[in-house]
Amino acid sequence: MRLIDSVFRQGHLSERALVDAIISGDRPHHLDRCDICATRTTELARWMQDLQTDAVELADEIFTPERLTAQQDQILRRLQQIDHPARVIAFPASMRREQADSGGRRVAVSWVGVAAAAGLAIGLIGGQFSARLTDPVAPAATTTVDAAAAATAESQTAPVDAGFLLESFDTVGISALDTLDDMTPRLAQLNARSGG
Amino acid sequence: MSEVASALIGREADTQAAIAVKALQAAGKLDGARERFTELVTRHQRRALRIAFHYVRDAADADEAVQDAFVKAYTHIGTFRDELPFEVWFTRILINGCLDRIKARKRREKWLAPPSIDAMGHERDPAEYLPSRGPSPEDYVLRQERRRQLHVALQQLPERQRAVFVLNHFEGRTSREVSQITGLNESTVRVHLFRAIRRLRGLLSKDAARPGAASRRVSRASH
Repeated sequence: MRLIDSVFRQGHLSERALVDAIISGDRPHHLDRCDICATRTTELARWMQDLQTDAVELADEIFTPERLTAQQDQILRRLQQIDHPARVIAFPASMRREQADSGGRRVAVSWVGVAAAAGLAIGLIGGQFSARLTDPVAPAATTTVDAAAAATAESQTAPVDAGFLLESFDTVGISALDTLDDMTPRLAQLNARSGG
Repeated sequence: MSEVASALIGREADTQAAIAVKALQAAGKLDGARERFTELVTRHQRRALRIAFHYVRDAADADEAVQDAFVKAYTHIGTFRDELPFEVWFTRILINGCLDRIKARKRREKWLAPPSIDAMGHERDPAEYLPSRGPSPEDYVLRQERRRQLHVALQQLPERQRAVFVLNHFEGRTSREVSQITGLNESTVRVHLFRAIRRLRGLLSKDAARPGAASRRVSRASH
């Protein structure tokens, strides 16, 4: 009997002492003398027993034997996976085998990309070089073609005596216009008339 | 006497099985190791499920926690030492796993918490989240109701109190064993145990005294 029990509880045991007694199984001497505490202990022990029964039944009702079996199988499957981890299988295996059987040379995928890039670079550089090398030739050819075309066009449209166009107007003599030329007063004559 | 003797025999058998599994694993005889480990699974599975269920308060979570604990025990059997009973060693793994699950769930529930207030502005009873089990005789329903009340009351215990109470009272572990499992001082274990009992008594008596609580739930369960 603790001092606190004898002072504050009129000599009766505290609930904690009752719980300790029930759990440990050590029955205090006070219970043999005090009917009140003995009854309290019995009630508390029964309540705790009911609680335990309910809790166990509740769990067992949910986890049926079938569920336990299923869980055990699942555990064993997981253990098996740990012991024998699955290997990664190459995909697609059949295609790879066919390629190997056909005896064709396999090219790594990464090399295909590299080859494509290299081809592009070579094409660009080669194109630039070839363009630079052919630059002076191409305009000459064009000029030649233009001159030839012009000469051709000229020969088709110009009259045979087209050379008069280059001569001075005064020196040009066209017989058909001579009459008209005679009728037309000259500038010198007009000046003389106005001056006289 | 017979219970104690059988418990001691069981412990001895557990220790021998665990040591055998360890040796077989080291020798590379994995099929044999798994076979011996199955003995341990069979012996401890139901007990482990009870502990996990009352601890994490969810059947699916408990199922997974127990699976994980057995897998972890198998993979880490090399660290098992025979000075500690296999049961204690394994339960420690299980409890730690359950704690991790509870923490993860709390993190999830921060974002996905079900509304505790209904559309009418009334606080919903946590028991409403549990599925009803269909029509059944009244005594069966009342028994179910009592268990449900217990389940709800257990949810309201702090984690340590719940762990100590479940291990000690439901699984019959001694204070010393609970102390070894949880890593708490033996006297602290006793304090937690007493507080858990006092709180549960308060919660269950309050729930039982609530007017119309039982009849309301009975009618709900019978629908």
